[in-house]
Formats: sequence, C-alpha cells, structure tokens
Amino acid sequence: MPAIEQVREDLDYVANAVRREEADRGPPAVYVLWAVIVAIGFALPDFAPRHAGWYWLIVGPAGGIASWLLGRRQGIIDGVHDAALARRYAYDWLVAGAAFILVFVPAMAGAIQPTAAAVNVLLVGGVAYALAGVHLERPLLWSGLLMFGGYVALSLLALPYVWTATGIIVAASLAIAAVVRPRAPSPQG
Amino acid sequence: MNALDGFDAALEHRARLTIAVLLARHGEISFSRFKELLELTDGNLGAQLRRLEDDAYIALRRAFVDRKPVTWYRLTATGRKALDKHLRALRNVIAVAQG
Repeated sequence: MPAIEQVREDLDYVANAVRREEADRGPPAVYVLWAVIVAIGFALPDFAPRHAGWYWLIVGPAGGIASWLLGRRQGIIDGVHDAALARRYAYDWLVAGAAFILVFVPAMAGAIQPTAAAVNVLLVGGVAYALAGVHLERPLLWSGLLMFGGYVALSLLALPYVWTATGIIVAASLAIAAVVRPRAPSPQG
Repeated sequence: MNALDGFDAALEHRARLTIAVLLARHGEISFSRFKELLELTDGNLGAQLRRLEDDAYIALRRAFVDRKPVTWYRLTATGRKALDKHLRALRNVIAVAQG
C-alpha cells in the first residue's frame, strides 16, 4: 500500500478514537440533578415566594459542589483524568452562573418586572448552553436552542405562572441533554 | 529528502499513535478506557503500551477505584516531543503527496 494511503488510514483511525472519547463526555446525572433543582426552584416564586431566596442560597452552591463530585466520579469510572478539561468546565459554568445572577440585578433595582427577569433567564441560559454545546458537549447545543425557543414563546405569550413555565422549559432542556448522547464512532471508522 | 524522514518507529503503529494523541489531549487515561476506545485485546493493548513505556514516552500509575486495581497512563515530556516530531513528519508526507 502506498505510504500516503497508509497514513490516511492511520489518521482516520486516530480521529475516530478521539471522536469516540469526546462523544462520551459529560455525566447525564448532572443534567438530571439540575433539571430537578431548577424545576423546584423556579416554581417557588409562584407558589411559595418566601422560600425562593433561601432555596437558591443553599441549593445553588450545593448543586455546584454535587455537579463537581459527579463529574469527578464519572471521570474515574470512564477512565479519564483531564484536569485541563475540568478547568474549562469550571470556568464555563462560573461565567454562566455569574450571568444568571446578573439577570436579576435590573429586577432587584426595580428597573424591570421580576417576571421579565424570569424570561431573560431563558435567553442567558440559551446562550450559555448553546455555547457549551459548541465548546464542551454537543447535546447541550440542543438544550440551548430549546431555551431560545422558550424565550421567544414566553416573550410573546402572556402566561400566568411565568416562573414555573420558565423552570419547566429549562428543566426539559436539561433533561434533553441527559437523554441525547452523541453516537460514538468505532475506531475502525 | 525522503518523505518518511522524521517518522518515529514507536509511533508508526496506529494504535500507539492514537494512544499518544489521546494522552496529549487528556491528562491521564486508564487501561480499560484505552481498551474501549481502541477495541484491542488486553494482550495487544498491553504490548503497545509497553512499547511506549520502554521508550519512556508514557508513564504509568497504579491506583485502586472501588477496591479494583486501575492503571493510569500519562504522556511524558519525551513522549510529547516525539509525538510533535512525528506529527510534523506526517504533515510533510501529506504536503508532499498533495504536491
């Protein structure tokens, strides 16, 4: 076989193994966890507003720590220790978390209605998850796009329980990331 | 100049090249993960890893996960340098072939 043909076949083999490794990224349990946290946390302002602040103060950071532990455990189970990738995930979600908090600043300052902030969560979530889908895990792209759709729908429709509706849309988007896993190619191509 | 100049014999085998590339992208990878990714038998994978270890391209660390022994591999500085050189040689071959 000519050398160039051999080289091409070898590089296909390498590329498929790399794609296969990347396809398995991200523990689905993290998305299920956040789907539950968000669904409950966003229903609280509609049904038990007194508890919403405390809930997010306690459950938000606890969810972050639980996500880190789940990711670490998944890495050990999968047989991959990647400190650089873990740092990328941490920075990505730290920036996204800061953006989620900033969404509420105009509402707290009285510049916009609190329900408008709820809808804006979908816009910020859409950007954060779609970009995470591009740079970290492909299934998150679909979560982001679904949040964009939710943002448009809630902006145009005057629904009574906006917080709860926002929570359901975010939770459904996260559940999709847990269910939709990319197909891993075999090393043979 | 021969187009194959700069090729590293240890990295010419595609399984060994893949192992080096995967380790260059990730910090540490376990034996069982390599087995899944490369779909090689224990014996074949062990032989390929040993070859890279003999050339000091990779280093191993043994640990226990849920009381089971796990062998982790990482690329050494020597291995990274050899991989860079080998990939440069591969690019040259492709460039020559494309005219």
